[in-house]
Amino acid sequence: MSSATETASRSLSRTYDYLFVGRSRLQQVVVAAGLVALLGLVGAAVFFPETAAADLVAVLTDSSTLAATLRLSVPIAFAALGGIFAEKSGVINIGLEGLLIIAAFTGIYATDVTGSVWFGLFGGVVASTLLAALFAVVCIEFKADQIIAGLAVWLIALGLAPFASTVVYGGKTSASVATLPTVTDMGLPFVSAFVTTELGFVVDLPVFGVLDLQSSLVGLPFFGALFDAGPAVYLMFVAVALSWYTLNRTAFGRWVRASGENPKALDTAGVNVHRVRYAAVLLSGVLAGVGGAALALGIGQFTGSGPTMVNGKGFIAIVAYLFGNYNPIGAFFSTILFAGLDATQLTLQARDVFQVPRPLVRTIPYVAVIVVLALFGRTRLPSAAGDSYDSGEGE
Amino acid sequence: MTDTDAAVRLESITKRFPGVVANDDVDLTVERGTVHALLGENGAGKTTLMNVLYGLYQPTSGRIEVDGETRTFDSPRDAIDAGVGMIHQHFMLVDTMTVAENIALGNEPRKYGGLAVDQDATREGVVELSERYGFDVDPDQLIEETSVGVQQRVEILKALYRGADVLILDEPTAVLTPQEVEDLFAVLEELTDQGKTIIFITHKLGEAMHAADDITVLRDGKHVGSVAADETSREELAELMVGREVVLEIEKPDVDVGEEVLSVDSLSVTDDRDVEAVSDLSFSVREGEVFGIAGVDGNGQSELVEAITGLRNPESGSVAFDGESITWDSRRERIDAGMAYVPEDRQERGLVMEFDLVENGILGSQHADPFASGGRIDWGESRVHAERVVEEYDVRPPDADADAVSLSGGNQQKFVVGRELERDPRLVVATHPTRGVDVGSQEFIHDRLLDLRADGRGVLLVSSKLDEVRGLSDRLAVMHDGDVMAVVDPDEVTEEQLGLLMAGERPEEIPHADSAAPEGVEP
Repeated sequence: MSSATETASRSLSRTYDYLFVGRSRLQQVVVAAGLVALLGLVGAAVFFPETAAADLVAVLTDSSTLAATLRLSVPIAFAALGGIFAEKSGVINIGLEGLLIIAAFTGIYATDVTGSVWFGLFGGVVASTLLAALFAVVCIEFKADQIIAGLAVWLIALGLAPFASTVVYGGKTSASVATLPTVTDMGLPFVSAFVTTELGFVVDLPVFGVLDLQSSLVGLPFFGALFDAGPAVYLMFVAVALSWYTLNRTAFGRWVRASGENPKALDTAGVNVHRVRYAAVLLSGVLAGVGGAALALGIGQFTGSGPTMVNGKGFIAIVAYLFGNYNPIGAFFSTILFAGLDATQLTLQARDVFQVPRPLVRTIPYVAVIVVLALFGRTRLPSAAGDSYDSGEGE
Repeated sequence: MTDTDAAVRLESITKRFPGVVANDDVDLTVERGTVHALLGENGAGKTTLMNVLYGLYQPTSGRIEVDGETRTFDSPRDAIDAGVGMIHQHFMLVDTMTVAENIALGNEPRKYGGLAVDQDATREGVVELSERYGFDVDPDQLIEETSVGVQQRVEILKALYRGADVLILDEPTAVLTPQEVEDLFAVLEELTDQGKTIIFITHKLGEAMHAADDITVLRDGKHVGSVAADETSREELAELMVGREVVLEIEKPDVDVGEEVLSVDSLSVTDDRDVEAVSDLSFSVREGEVFGIAGVDGNGQSELVEAITGLRNPESGSVAFDGESITWDSRRERIDAGMAYVPEDRQERGLVMEFDLVENGILGSQHADPFASGGRIDWGESRVHAERVVEEYDVRPPDADADAVSLSGGNQQKFVVGRELERDPRLVVATHPTRGVDVGSQEFIHDRLLDLRADGRGVLLVSSKLDEVRGLSDRLAVMHDGDVMAVVDPDEVTEEQLGLLMAGERPEEIPHADSAAPEGVEP
């Protein structure tokens, strides 16, 4: 009996070594994601009769689950990217949640006023950036404690957005406005307009070819969702790639990293640390703004009761980028993992397969991050994160 | 000296801080293509003067001339543009970036119309520079994976990359091993051969005489003399520095040794990467004895000391204090038992930098008499204690309310040493007790260690300064690669023999100390 458990534990540890040891962070995140999903499935198969497990597999492989995952990822991924820039530069932006909230409301309001979802998106970005600017001034110029200032940003938005909604719409929930269209909705006029005006040539056939291709791709099992998402989803892909490039390949990215690791080194190299940090925090406002506005405009309504419609996504974003070790791509995959869990749970409930309490699912990211950080412990905080920098005469 | 060939001329520089005159009417002329040493004790104003030249401080009065032109530097940027580069005592490098990325930081070559960093051009520039000056650096290595010596070279390359003709080095040898110091001096020679001008700040006489062409001595913020290195003597320089004769020899009275205070038995310790750093070591320290440990840094001394002081758990073996095992005792239990510890890194482990000296002075005894009374701290008593340490150990400025961070490195060290030695310990574990401390204070710290010895206390001394560890020790163990090569008699052993032992070789005949080679140490 004991020798059996011994062999079992030994083979388990061998499997563990094989899966995780000597792998990069990114690989580990992917492996962990796979394992969690697999274990969940096996667990379901064990605890529920065959039908439920089979249903679960059906849900997991359904293209609508991927569609929901991508949709739910947008605000988290954008906020996470923003958080990476801010924290890499040495300013811990714990107020991402607040930025999402303010952008969500302003996105709806601006759409309502201007009648255009695009202006709405822009309005959300502006609002979020302004709030981030306030945060930046308080933290960088006046050297306030970043955690406390970040909490203040959250609390300000948490109070301000529902209040504004009450003033404008007479309740914490706003009126309904237009939503961001999907690629299919935008259809031929959009695609051909895009090809003619943006790419500068008018060709009929390729346009129809593109459309045909798109509509046949949409029909693909599971991955079809990738070709029928809203513009925010594609914007997210672009933003992830661009963020990675900016951080790793541009001079600005290097300054951001140096500013978070050793600001004095950057200062003595003749680069203004404060300016770099302002840029990074404002960028986090812009990114979180896109995420928050896209969240609200995907539904067409702002819900301001309780924790608002943002409901902790800004905090999950922080977990996601920690999980991804400040790598935009790692953060993106963590986001997909967390959003995927949420989406699966939603679909399960919608189909009435079995009820997983939503609050329980929502704790998974936080539990996962504790387990993973304890297990691997490879997330490396920028050395100077949280410290204000004084370029005055030192020593 | 002809004015035309001066790379740098400082005239009547005065720099006042509130309440202090750091530089008082100082003149300095540095010839082009020479190495100029700026010599002085801690707090003599050497670094302040160089910070003025580098644009970090603006002089209260005086004139700066670089390449025959009068300049005012509002910031280091201006100084860099004028060809003046400075390598600070604490390196300004980003650990998580590569050598090349650090060198180019702030001056990155661009491509795609300024959009991206041209990494190939960065690398080429760095490789080209390091080849020209014979530097051995790998541009793709991460800074955190390089040794201190390499980091210093990266700092020098950084200055050269920005076009510096005059290089200021602040205490460049403080953090280097003897071998690295030799390498550095070779680099300095190569640089001056190619027309660069070097100013280096030091408080070590030997280095100034060895590496410099000219030496300028500062004392209490005043210029007290400029001499050519080959026309002076250690005694003359020492006198200029401290204004009185310094006994460079250490006199050690005879003391009767007593019982074993500390005994280490078959101790093995691993380092942070889980690699064995100390292998099966045994030795003991007796009452009235200074037991020295010499060796090149990084041969297990740190891990050994951490295991003895309770900062690291050993893999196997035991540590006994006064005959009782303390292998698994906590720091507090060891302090209470009478073990004082002067840590290697004063800023990391010796002080809370944001605390003032009153608070720092009771660290480790905050729970004990006379500082604790009924769960509260008696700040009056603490202040008296801090003031006594400041006074006795000549900590400058003599202000117990000063934050630790505001003190210079040497004064921080004096305060830590003072606090630890004033614990009335049974055993002092002192690692590099005089690192970064000026000559006068070194002498004082040495005397205090010898007083403790005369008083029948044990001293375990780890130091990279050979003359210090030889002068103070009764028995001297040489460590190499986690092992004790030999326990020798410091009075008999020659420098060559020590060098061989430190390099891991065993000379044929070595003067073993009496009762040397305790059990467990293989001869």
